[in-house]
Amino acid sequence: MSHLSLLRFHIQSSPATFSPRLGTVSLTRQSENTSLEVHTPGLIASTSRGVVPHLSGDHTRASEAIRWVHVPFESFLELSPPLPTLHPGPYPTHACLGFPPTKHILTMSLRDPADDRDMPPNGNEFVSALCLRGVRKVTPDEWRDYVLAAQPDVLVALSDIPFTSGSYSQKRITKSIERSASWLANILRPLPGRHVSAGATPHFPNVLVHMAGGTTPVARQAFSRSLLEPLFDKEAEAIKPLNNLDQGVAGYTFDLAPLHKSLSPTTAHTATKNGPVAAIDLFSAPPAPSVIEQVVSLIRTSLEPLPATKPRFVHSASSPHEILALIRDVGIDLFDAHWAQRAADIGVALDFVFPAPTTGGVSDAAPREIGHNFYDKQYSHDFSSFADTLRSCSAEQDDKRPSCVCMACAPSRPSEPLKHSRLDEAPPLHPPVPYTRAYMHHLLHTHEMAAHTLLTLHNLAVLDTFFAGVRRVLSEQPEIFSQEITRFEQIYDGKLGVLAEARKTWTEVSLARGKGRLAREKEKLKQDTLGTAVELN
Amino acid sequence: MQFEVLATCHTTRARASRMTLSHGVTSLPTFMPVATQAAIKGVTPQQVEGLGITLILNNTYHLNLRPGIGVLREAGGAHRLQGWNHNLLTDSGGFQLVSLNKFTTITEQGAFFASPFTGEPTMLTPEESISIQHAIGADIIMQLDDVVSSLTVGPRVAEAMQRSIRWLDRCIEFHEKSGKRDTQNLFAIVQGGLDPVLRDECLNEMIKRHDKVAGYAIGGLSGGEEKDIFWRIIRQCAEKLPADKPRYSMGIGFAEDLLVCVALGVDMADCVFPTRTARFGVALTFNGPLNLKLGKHAKDFNPIDSTCPCPTCKDGVSRATLHHTATHETAAAHAITLHNLAFQARVMGQARDSIMDGTFPAYLRRFFADYFGDAGYPEWCINALRSVGVDLLDGNPDAKVVKGDGAKWEYSDTA
Repeated sequence: MSHLSLLRFHIQSSPATFSPRLGTVSLTRQSENTSLEVHTPGLIASTSRGVVPHLSGDHTRASEAIRWVHVPFESFLELSPPLPTLHPGPYPTHACLGFPPTKHILTMSLRDPADDRDMPPNGNEFVSALCLRGVRKVTPDEWRDYVLAAQPDVLVALSDIPFTSGSYSQKRITKSIERSASWLANILRPLPGRHVSAGATPHFPNVLVHMAGGTTPVARQAFSRSLLEPLFDKEAEAIKPLNNLDQGVAGYTFDLAPLHKSLSPTTAHTATKNGPVAAIDLFSAPPAPSVIEQVVSLIRTSLEPLPATKPRFVHSASSPHEILALIRDVGIDLFDAHWAQRAADIGVALDFVFPAPTTGGVSDAAPREIGHNFYDKQYSHDFSSFADTLRSCSAEQDDKRPSCVCMACAPSRPSEPLKHSRLDEAPPLHPPVPYTRAYMHHLLHTHEMAAHTLLTLHNLAVLDTFFAGVRRVLSEQPEIFSQEITRFEQIYDGKLGVLAEARKTWTEVSLARGKGRLAREKEKLKQDTLGTAVELN
Repeated sequence: MQFEVLATCHTTRARASRMTLSHGVTSLPTFMPVATQAAIKGVTPQQVEGLGITLILNNTYHLNLRPGIGVLREAGGAHRLQGWNHNLLTDSGGFQLVSLNKFTTITEQGAFFASPFTGEPTMLTPEESISIQHAIGADIIMQLDDVVSSLTVGPRVAEAMQRSIRWLDRCIEFHEKSGKRDTQNLFAIVQGGLDPVLRDECLNEMIKRHDKVAGYAIGGLSGGEEKDIFWRIIRQCAEKLPADKPRYSMGIGFAEDLLVCVALGVDMADCVFPTRTARFGVALTFNGPLNLKLGKHAKDFNPIDSTCPCPTCKDGVSRATLHHTATHETAAAHAITLHNLAFQARVMGQARDSIMDGTFPAYLRRFFADYFGDAGYPEWCINALRSVGVDLLDGNPDAKVVKGDGAKWEYSDTA
């Protein structure tokens, strides 16, 4: 791993422990002579089976929103040894999955952080992971070997998050934080034969720790404190030269899916005793404001004793409202885009900006939806581009809306089409025209996969633009940030009614026209939380 | 339409030509990918354009049902709707009426069927078909023909052929009155089943309409007939059809079928095969198809074809990675679709160049040796190409030859 360098995080201001913050994560690749920078608050794209769902490599690369990808490892457990560990050459996982090291930062965790389904219990020496061939037990030593071979830029230490049904006893929670700390210590052991030069670490350079403790504040506190405690004897020897675990940690990460599940008792999940598990609930609603408040408070409890200088990651946030609350009240730096990508799976084009638009007497009107369900009949004759709040490439010059640079709103023509014989002439280039809602409506109702491709590209771009808006306010007018969030919450429906509506129509169309697609879809959902099944006919 | 034959093969009947339509130039022979419902499954028009493809196909039957003529008219045609600025061909809907709809009744007036959405009785007449194709706005439009399965025998075959001639006349009349002849080009479809006498009668009649049609299609094949009969019908039609119009063989997509058809004088072909097979995880190569779902590819870090210029191969996406994602992730379908479309385009592009260079027979021999060398040459390909003066076994008399349709396929890990 000698070419893997340290992730650097620079916070612009020196904020209090819990306040919105502007920062930059940078990763310099000496061997590639490139430096990757991601401005925070910002997004990380989610993947399924190692790919950003619906995007071929050329699309993934061309999307400006995709700079950082999160790769759950568990699907690769189908093959032994797992595929990314076998790939020849440098940056094996990047190379294997088609993420150029010059463009993408890549994080790897064992499990899919959005997967909150019931699973067989973890043990003292293993985590239960899910792949197409069933549940696999992965030990901390195996995880260490896997990431040593797969060489992601950033890795998440194993942690013991219980996904068994029912509530968790104090004993179970204690076990959870003890295991998580011990598995972290395992991954922080010095690497065999690693040459320690200036700026390099003897252990894995960029290890994130998932903050354990579930919904029990004292447990979260205990876990955080355990990271700071000096270690002695054998334990200290094992992680030498580190004095405590936190010194080896590059950042803190929080999976919200299990928290949402525990805090929303109404959400029924089918329990299975021995897994493989039930399909993800397609109709799950976003967390209520009260749940978001509790999530904020739990995360603060975890972060309170820890240094504020390290980046903070949140996975499986489920709405822009929750993201804004976590930026404002905690100071979270990076969020995965899972919910926005899931919206593309079910036919929704996102359409919101931060700060919220000021035009119109919005206060009295019903809250706006954060996007459009293109399954809806109202779009069948609508030839406008995807978003009202963003302008497409065909907008007038003096249009003041922020522009959407996605390949649906601003398609780019190939600069040099292939030629297959010398008779072939370069075709005339026409000015690009944005894709229309009517076309999306048509593609969704005819089950054309290209709909999800264009929606994925669009939704990632909208979320990226949203974060750019957040950063702009934090940089230029930090004093109005809170006010703008309140205004955003007033204008945009936090219940995400459009997603619920889209899930319903998506299912109806699948039933009516799917030719077994729904069955395949359920099959896919047993494995992955993202992406739709391939339309085979 | 401008159609110019640039070169003809000194041995076979193959020719290279240039076809200029309202949306640009397409050089022939070419393969046309199928965008049934105004999208090539999973890929964007920009990606298709990037692959060097200049002519694709939409299906009239499907577009008439969804999004419907109203939306197509409002959009300004199918080109605008799907963001495709190059050439477009629509079929007439006749084939789908028969293949997709069990309850179609053919009368002299037209095809009578129940709408798959509402169940309402619906009539598709030749005039209606052309009118829909006018709304779609394709550069090449097809006559409505009376399609019977190629396995049909008896008087129905003759009846369908004769009705197709009468319907051609109605299509011509309607099309001429519409004033769209400058921008949309009507092709006739030769029918007559597997009967050379009926085919000949159809050819004679349709060739009489030479000045009123822009090109000719050979229909009613690729329906499960024996390959040995298939190529004889293609040869008969291609030989007789006038040299100054493009010839389009409908529903042909296997590489060996394409090259045999080109050698027999065909200029255009379409098929869902390369895109559909991609979704099942099959990648096409010059050494035969690879079924990437097979375990033998699970740890193979080579690209599908290291010489292929498609985005998937150029990126070095490995067979192992595609094995992991194929049939699970739509992204894998997209990646293999891009490759397969590039493969079809390369097979035909190399045919064009070799025809221009006078080396087409050598190209045929090389292609078949690479593609079938180990598995055995399909006998029907040998027969078909011998009929136009190319002996695939020339210099290789001991080569393995297989009977039947001879299509090459990776069935299992042990095969």
